[in-house]
Amino acid sequence: MDWQSWLIGIVGRALAFGTPLLWGTLGEIYAERAGVVNLGVEGMMVLGAFSAFAVAQSTGHPGLGILVAAVVGGIAALIHAFLTVTLRANQYVSGLALTMFGLGLAGLLGRGWEGIPLRQPLPSVTVPGLSKIPLLGPMLFEDQSILTYTGLILAVVLWLLLYRTRWGIVVRSVGESPATADALGVNVFLIRYLCVIFGGVFAGVAGGFLSVEYRPAWTEGMTAGMGWIVIALTIFAAWDPLQAIWGALFFGALYHLSYRLQAWLPPELLKLMPYAFAILVLAIAGLSGRKRGAPGALGVPYTRGEK
Amino acid sequence: MRRIGIITLAALAFLGLSALAEGNIKAGFIYVGPIGDYGWSFAHNEAREMLDQEFDWLETVYVESVPEGEVETFLDQLVAQGCNVVFATSFGFMDGTLAAALRHPDVIFAHCAGFKRAPNMASYMADFYQVYYLNGLMAGALTKTGKIGYVGAFPIPEVKRHINAFTIGAREVNPNAEVHVKWIYEWFNPAAAKEAAEALIAEGCDVFAFTEDSPTVVQVAAEHGLPSFGHYSPMYDFAPDYVVSGQLVHWEAIYRDFLKKIHDGVYTTQNLQHVDYWWLLSQGAVEVGAKPGMMINPVFEDALKAYVVDHPVFGKISVYDLVKTRYNQMADPGVTFDPFQGPVYDRKGNLVIPEGMWPSVDTLITLEWAVEGVAGPWPGEPEE
Repeated sequence: MDWQSWLIGIVGRALAFGTPLLWGTLGEIYAERAGVVNLGVEGMMVLGAFSAFAVAQSTGHPGLGILVAAVVGGIAALIHAFLTVTLRANQYVSGLALTMFGLGLAGLLGRGWEGIPLRQPLPSVTVPGLSKIPLLGPMLFEDQSILTYTGLILAVVLWLLLYRTRWGIVVRSVGESPATADALGVNVFLIRYLCVIFGGVFAGVAGGFLSVEYRPAWTEGMTAGMGWIVIALTIFAAWDPLQAIWGALFFGALYHLSYRLQAWLPPELLKLMPYAFAILVLAIAGLSGRKRGAPGALGVPYTRGEK
Repeated sequence: MRRIGIITLAALAFLGLSALAEGNIKAGFIYVGPIGDYGWSFAHNEAREMLDQEFDWLETVYVESVPEGEVETFLDQLVAQGCNVVFATSFGFMDGTLAAALRHPDVIFAHCAGFKRAPNMASYMADFYQVYYLNGLMAGALTKTGKIGYVGAFPIPEVKRHINAFTIGAREVNPNAEVHVKWIYEWFNPAAAKEAAEALIAEGCDVFAFTEDSPTVVQVAAEHGLPSFGHYSPMYDFAPDYVVSGQLVHWEAIYRDFLKKIHDGVYTTQNLQHVDYWWLLSQGAVEVGAKPGMMINPVFEDALKAYVVDHPVFGKISVYDLVKTRYNQMADPGVTFDPFQGPVYDRKGNLVIPEGMWPSVDTLITLEWAVEGVAGPWPGEPEE
């Protein structure tokens, strides 16, 4: 088999499968950078997937579906923000509850929407001109999603925002040491609320991508665990939006390879390859001594006046 | 969702809604997945709703997404709630159902896809292998590359039996055809099914069949302009120009027969030890097609009529006619053909079903080998 078709397949599929992972991870990075772990990604994604499908199907506008998915994801995240920031509930418990709530609610509302093909999926794009470049064209610019490209651009923008602007310093300081930020006059609660909601918006879009473009139909539980991969990728990316690109693409490539290589390697082994890789990365991160950029106050509710 | 189910059950049990009119049946159904899966649990639930409407002496309740290890609790609750017939619809519920059947000798149990029974516990299954064989005939005629792609859920006897029957069909009309298999190790995972299908397309496959509880493979094939076969639920609407045919289930055929016989007093809590429904085409428990009533998508009729083979039994025959002929042989009450009619050799060259023999149900439900023409990994394949 010629290497070009392999390369085109691996990169092309990595971009497609990596897109929802990238969106989800970018959102989670911002929530965690502000100090709030949100294990509700799976729930927010599936709510996004359902609402995007329902809206796209009823209106015939897939773009509107994505927009509504973003809003729905944001609202779902608002619940998490209220519980963990205002009520100072345990972030892990609240996140898990959000996942179960999201899966249940989407399943309930989705009754009767199964088994219908989406009448107008989000069209894939082939970049004119660029797609004619040998090898690179079919690899990067043929039949890709507009959300793939916007996701990549946003990753760069979010990186600049986080590391090169005052606003980014504020977000990071809230995640590192909320008490210090508070003392300096930063509204810790507001920043945390905004970042968690921002994360929900991105998770919603990731879910919407799944139901109106990647596989244009609604089925209960269709995210099938992708939200958990997002949580792992957030750690893998060391809470850095640029590294999230590599994480999402690398995971996407491994996922594709786990099917391409079945003729040569045992499928059981290949099936666990992407996950084994995730564990390996976590182990290396742990052994390297530093916490690889984990925000200092990650997972800790902030109470004013406490040390 | 399961939580809501539990609460509802508890509430109903508390209210003690157990007073049944004489001769009436209250049937409880336990599903392993959500009823919205558009696959296995969805199909059982459709059948339940249909019969609930059909019989005025029947009342039904259900619980969905029941973990296999916890089935006994739910069985007990359904009994406490007044069910006198309980259906447990997953292979993994088998031992739990047997235990419950022994604990509640006055209630009738029926377990799907397993093999254990008791005086008050029957077993039942609607199997697709004949349907897959017929789909295989069409796939063999439609492939241009000679490579047919198959996305498989788990390498277990049920799925292996189906892939084998499919391959036997494909090679009956196209001796060089190969069925390339990718395993995803999930019953339901649209993303995995999509990536597996994309991998098969990258390797040159141009016709697709699958075992996974979503229409993903049909959609992916259609995006690439390639034909496919639907699985389990009607998937025609997902790609009207590309779905050739498929496998459809009619659980209501089994449920109707079983419940009627209970209502008529034929089946009791004493005589189910040997009641095992293994229902196929001739009993109407399964159907060939991408939607009810359409065995072959008209879009593909011409291509199948134009593909004429020199058949050892029927002489010169188009694949279109061959499908109809074989269908009649299996769907008519006196079944005269089985896809696994011997001699059948596995791909290592062993004779697995001797000349002239038909496989027993036991052979079929424990089948591990792969027939010649199956390409790709086959976990659990017998050595020599």
